[in-house]
Amino acid sequence: MRRKFLGIAMASVMGLSALTGCATTTVEEAGEAESTEAKTEEGSGTETADAGDATETADAAEAESTDGSSTDSLTGNGDKTLHVFLYMQEHEKKIYEDLVKQFVEEHKDEIKEVVFEVTTQDEYNQKMIANMTANDMPDVFYVGPAAVRSYVDNGYVLPLDDYVDADTIGSVWGTTQEIYRYDGKNVGSGSLYALPKDLSCFAFAYNQDLFDAAGLEYPDPEKPYTYDEFIEVCEKLTIDKDGDGEIDQWGVANADQFGMTPFLYSNGVKFLNDDMTKVNVANNEPLKEALTFYTDLTKNGLTPSVEQDTALGGYQRWLDGQVAFYACGTWDVAAFMDDATFPYKWNLCGWPVGPSGDGRSHTWMGSVGYCVSATSENPDLAAQLAAKLSTDEEGQKAVSGITTGESIQLPNITELAYGEFKDAVNSGKVPYASNVDVIFGYFDGNDHYAAALQETDYTYNAEWFTPFWSGVFNIKNGDISVEDYLQQVEPEMQEALDEAIELQNSATN
Amino acid sequence: MASKKVKVQMSAMAKREERWAWLFIAAPFVGFMLFMAYPIVFALIASSSKWTGINSLWGNIVGLRNYIKILNDAKFWKAMGTTIIYMIGIPIGMILGMLVAMGLNRKIPGKRVLTTMYYVPVVSSLVAVSILWAWVFNYDYGLLNGIYKALTGLHGPNWLGDEFMVKVSLIIFMVWKGLGGTVILYLAGLQNIPRDYYEAAMIDGANSWQKFRNITLPLLSPVTFYILITSLIGGFQVFVEVQVMTPSGGPNYSAATVVFYLYEKAFTNGQLGYGSAVAVILAIIIFIITAINFWGQDKWVKTIE
Repeated sequence: MRRKFLGIAMASVMGLSALTGCATTTVEEAGEAESTEAKTEEGSGTETADAGDATETADAAEAESTDGSSTDSLTGNGDKTLHVFLYMQEHEKKIYEDLVKQFVEEHKDEIKEVVFEVTTQDEYNQKMIANMTANDMPDVFYVGPAAVRSYVDNGYVLPLDDYVDADTIGSVWGTTQEIYRYDGKNVGSGSLYALPKDLSCFAFAYNQDLFDAAGLEYPDPEKPYTYDEFIEVCEKLTIDKDGDGEIDQWGVANADQFGMTPFLYSNGVKFLNDDMTKVNVANNEPLKEALTFYTDLTKNGLTPSVEQDTALGGYQRWLDGQVAFYACGTWDVAAFMDDATFPYKWNLCGWPVGPSGDGRSHTWMGSVGYCVSATSENPDLAAQLAAKLSTDEEGQKAVSGITTGESIQLPNITELAYGEFKDAVNSGKVPYASNVDVIFGYFDGNDHYAAALQETDYTYNAEWFTPFWSGVFNIKNGDISVEDYLQQVEPEMQEALDEAIELQNSATN
Repeated sequence: MASKKVKVQMSAMAKREERWAWLFIAAPFVGFMLFMAYPIVFALIASSSKWTGINSLWGNIVGLRNYIKILNDAKFWKAMGTTIIYMIGIPIGMILGMLVAMGLNRKIPGKRVLTTMYYVPVVSSLVAVSILWAWVFNYDYGLLNGIYKALTGLHGPNWLGDEFMVKVSLIIFMVWKGLGGTVILYLAGLQNIPRDYYEAAMIDGANSWQKFRNITLPLLSPVTFYILITSLIGGFQVFVEVQVMTPSGGPNYSAATVVFYLYEKAFTNGQLGYGSAVAVILAIIIFIITAINFWGQDKWVKTIE
């Protein structure tokens, strides 16, 4: 009897421990591991305790942990406090830390303390959820385009129009002026809720050395390839270099999750209807055409096979000089310019253009912005700090590499981008791919280029798109036809989208 | 007068002792309330809501809706099926562990070194060894396929890229990772078996198999029971190795476990309410399985007394 009681007791404890997470304590550990693997491009990921010159403008008490998160406290003589909570990479942190110090110095009669807390991207969302649940929001934090609606509907963020002058708002890329506006119904118009931390896009790149070796002309940045031209070039670049009977250099490598959509978008593909409520894949002719083109690249051996891809991803193969074309996010440029990481000559080009699109090369953009908490006690000061982080000229010169020689991102200020930044690229002061106009083309749109946010950025979560990209390898493997695949995957996508819409609406209660 | 004085003294001391007693009781009690009871109640409430972390929990209570959805959620059942398949590794690990422990229980040279070697995976970071094994299993560059190619001249299987092989790979990994713990426990169990049982059996003319079958195995049953229970519970909570080796859940979600699914729902897709409901269901399943085991143990678990 006693033993049975013990049994039940133990069973209860064991069962319930699943609920409290006692037994799954390594969630974060796993996240970190994934991130270290995913971000090998960042190189060493060294931890530098940069307390050295922190005190030149204000007293700084610094606590730095080993996981890349840190909290600085910067003090002035005033009575206002601000809490800034962001995620960023190690090398950006220093630049932004200096900006915050400057800000404290400029407002030292108002400011008592600015707490500058930085964490890793993996941890950021979880910490924000904790903040929201505890109703203890930082004054300045990030909001992505996808979260603007939820954040506004739930009353977390403040409209910035009254706090930031129009010139500052007007100085940044048109896209970043639009995507943080929300009128209570639609994103893109209404009040402005955030100032951009950055704007990025997923451009395309080619390995010049492989083109030289094959005696081919470089892609024309003014005229992206058509689908057919692209296949032709890839066929010439797919070769067995060492003559052992196995292909060891491919035209292109693609990662389905992010590197597939530019091919599809460039054929006029949209996955959702205009109001983002219905998935449109089963009877979507441009999609069928583009997906056939995309999966045929692998079927015809112009990319590494699905098995080869599981052994070594496209990114590694690109770094190793095994593929001629690969995606290049604006955040990748610095790594590709680094000879130790990528010892090849390369340049930017456009994604190939499909026959059913608008004749332009399309890709997706991304951004994250600084917003101000609706519960901030010092909204004016918080907004000014957000503006400083976003558009301070010296700060932008630093992150874009004009003054530092390493470009972490494009400048947010368009004038600076087209002017001093481009000059610095041309003169070699900033190591950057010379076809930087490709990126500007995507950002601003022109006759050859266009870009938009991913459709997943307009829905509550990206779950509806997961079934699509994660199953595409079955087509590449020849296990299912494009037609059947699209028929089969639509209901699952629609179900997840319906759920996302419901969750989005649950915010507006 | 004198007796009254004594009484007062006693009572003061008793009071003081009682205060201390309450304090000592309070520590685990408060700890339990804060870190167990509160999260459990919170999870139960959250599991009946459309809570996203961003919206208000209380404004989005939906009753049993999440539970009903989970019962019809094909991905959840697929993950549950995979979780159970992974448990094939439990008996394999127990048999191997017992064999190794019996080997180590004899007077052999290098016993300590061997025991340490078997135990190293247990104390190693799960994340670190998972990354290591992801490379061991690598299709083109992995150790296993390297050996396979050297032996047969053929390309080995796609360990982590094939729906069937990915399960085999993870089972191999889990057995390897858990073996040391099982060995140590069985070794302790073996050393607890009194020598004279074997001597008596020898005098009665029992052979090795009979000794194993009638002495070793029954007297190891409490250890076996303990390993079984903890492995089953751990088996339902597998997450890290899956997350590290197959970050998207394997080809066609073939490697994903229930906790992986839960994590993805709650933290990738922002469905904290739904994720909580999955956690509650998982807790109930673990409770039932553990309870069944405790009820059934009378039939096969023997103790020395």
